[in-house]
Amino acid sequence: MRRLSSRTMTGQDTMEPLERLLNLVGLLLESPTPLTFEQIRETLEAYQGDNLDSVKRKFERDKDMLRAYGVPLEMTGTDVWDVEQGYTIRKDRYYLPDIAFTPEEITALYLAAQSGPAPTDAVSGVRKLIYGVDGGVLTGSPGGPLAMESDTDQDRLMAAAGAASDRHAVRFGYRTAQGATSERTVDAFGVVFRSGRWYLVGHDHERDAIRAFRLSRVTTDLADAGAGIDPPEGFAAIEHVESAPWDAAGLAVAHVAFTPEAAVLAEGNISGASRDRVREDGWIVLALPAADADTLGPLILQYGREAEVLDPPALRDDVIARLVAVTGA
Amino acid sequence: MLVVVPYLIQHPGTTLDEASALFAIPVPQLRRDLEQLFLAGLPPYGPGDLIDVDIDEDGGIWVAMADHFARPLRLTRQEALAVYVRATELAATPGVPVAPALTAALAKLREALGPDALGEAAGIAGAEPGTPPENLDAVRAASGSRERLRISYVAQSTGERTERVVDPEAVFASAGHWYAAVWDVDVDDERLLRIDRIASAEPTGERFEPRGLPGAGRPLYTPSDRDVDVRARLHPPARWVAEYYLVRDVTEGPEGSLEVTLPTATMGWIARLFLRLGSDAEVLEPARLRDEIASEARETLARYGRRLPSSG
Repeated sequence: MRRLSSRTMTGQDTMEPLERLLNLVGLLLESPTPLTFEQIRETLEAYQGDNLDSVKRKFERDKDMLRAYGVPLEMTGTDVWDVEQGYTIRKDRYYLPDIAFTPEEITALYLAAQSGPAPTDAVSGVRKLIYGVDGGVLTGSPGGPLAMESDTDQDRLMAAAGAASDRHAVRFGYRTAQGATSERTVDAFGVVFRSGRWYLVGHDHERDAIRAFRLSRVTTDLADAGAGIDPPEGFAAIEHVESAPWDAAGLAVAHVAFTPEAAVLAEGNISGASRDRVREDGWIVLALPAADADTLGPLILQYGREAEVLDPPALRDDVIARLVAVTGA
Repeated sequence: MLVVVPYLIQHPGTTLDEASALFAIPVPQLRRDLEQLFLAGLPPYGPGDLIDVDIDEDGGIWVAMADHFARPLRLTRQEALAVYVRATELAATPGVPVAPALTAALAKLREALGPDALGEAAGIAGAEPGTPPENLDAVRAASGSRERLRISYVAQSTGERTERVVDPEAVFASAGHWYAAVWDVDVDDERLLRIDRIASAEPTGERFEPRGLPGAGRPLYTPSDRDVDVRARLHPPARWVAEYYLVRDVTEGPEGSLEVTLPTATMGWIARLFLRLGSDAEVLEPARLRDEIASEARETLARYGRRLPSSG
């Protein structure tokens, strides 16, 4: 076993930042009372030296770096009279609280953090959570890693999630599906992931109503617009994200026959499709949720001659009428 | 280090290689940082506060007596939100085996981190994931174990089913669909397949060596030299086409319409797309696409027992 080389020559000028930062964190965590800069200097060699200005600058930089890293370095009175200000790191704010994750749960979080684009805050966050579990469970995930990609700008997504969790309002440019663009101010109530896309749900100031905004249609960064209003009691953001019409929980079902090839495509494209039966001629009959025939008709037309609506009659007539219109007859 | 050290204290003997992989720190840097760690924790602390770091011959790391670094620091607000958002997204994606564990983990995170870090995290939510593609598990398993697959695949562009032998290198989800980046052994070229269009998948028992095909983040449509450009005007109800498919040369047209060029490998599928769009879109060129659409409409009407005189 090799003991790492002990201190041999490290003077204050060559002292590495990591050592300095660890020393500072250790000192402030263990000190029972806040320490003034003078007291810190007396204890930590790194902040000694004759040039007070440059030492102070170094200390300021270190403070900023630690705070950026999430260390809750606070300034507070050193005694009840608040005569002097000192620095402290409160243990209850510094340490991660106990969270009793099972190995499956921590593996799942690790996979989720790794699934997104690029190195992110999610990855560094999960690294803080794994200290209690064996790293072996993290590398052996069944079925390989999970990768996700998104049509949503990740910074905008995080800004929306932050605003929703802070109950803040945001201002942004938005383009509707029909192409109209406008500036919106929205009290953020929630962000919702549905069918592969993220939505911001909130109170739209201009329309004075709750609306859902697909984040991939947001055309600018989200600007903070200050504190927002609270959502109504019992509010659930998810109920406001318009489901695809064919997702709507309706009892209406359409039966459509497809060639075997088109049936494979339709099953993947039309959510809620299920196999009903195979016809004698080999065509496959799918049962499709048909709450909104206006949308379903065009969807079926995308399969051209490889699909035929069997029922309901209204949908059959709708498809025929659309086809006749196209032929110009 | 404020995150790595607690892990090393909890897991004595973790090797440099393991820690390097887990925390994405190159081994030389990790070794250097550990040396720095040894130098930290000097007086003014009492002897109990001294940090002792050993690295054994097998690269095993042993850290002792660093009581105040035995537990990691809290997640920053950004980190907590990001973990929450990622986990919510994955849990709401169809065909994710760890979804129940994620849901349980999210509840524990919400409780433990509280409003300071997560605020009103209840507002971050995912919808019920739909049904996953039938062959998703088979393709993911083969991708994980690098096993060659025999599949039958229905291409949207041709509507035809083909038998293929493929090496599934990368599997990923994008905008609600699962994809596999594969090497197609018969055509000796790369293909991007939508997993819901794989009608069957059989392992061949053969293993493959990955060629490093790009997975998540790649363009979902690769233009080819043989593509034909279709110029079209999309009226407001059809503008979604420009979001959904790869288009170029986008210009605003009259009355809220959008003019776009859609590169396409085959005329068949694009004719059917315009059949779907009906009067919401107009083909500007090529003219033969208009004939193709009309002919597809007539053929389809024939299914419904309607015969129309050919307009030619």
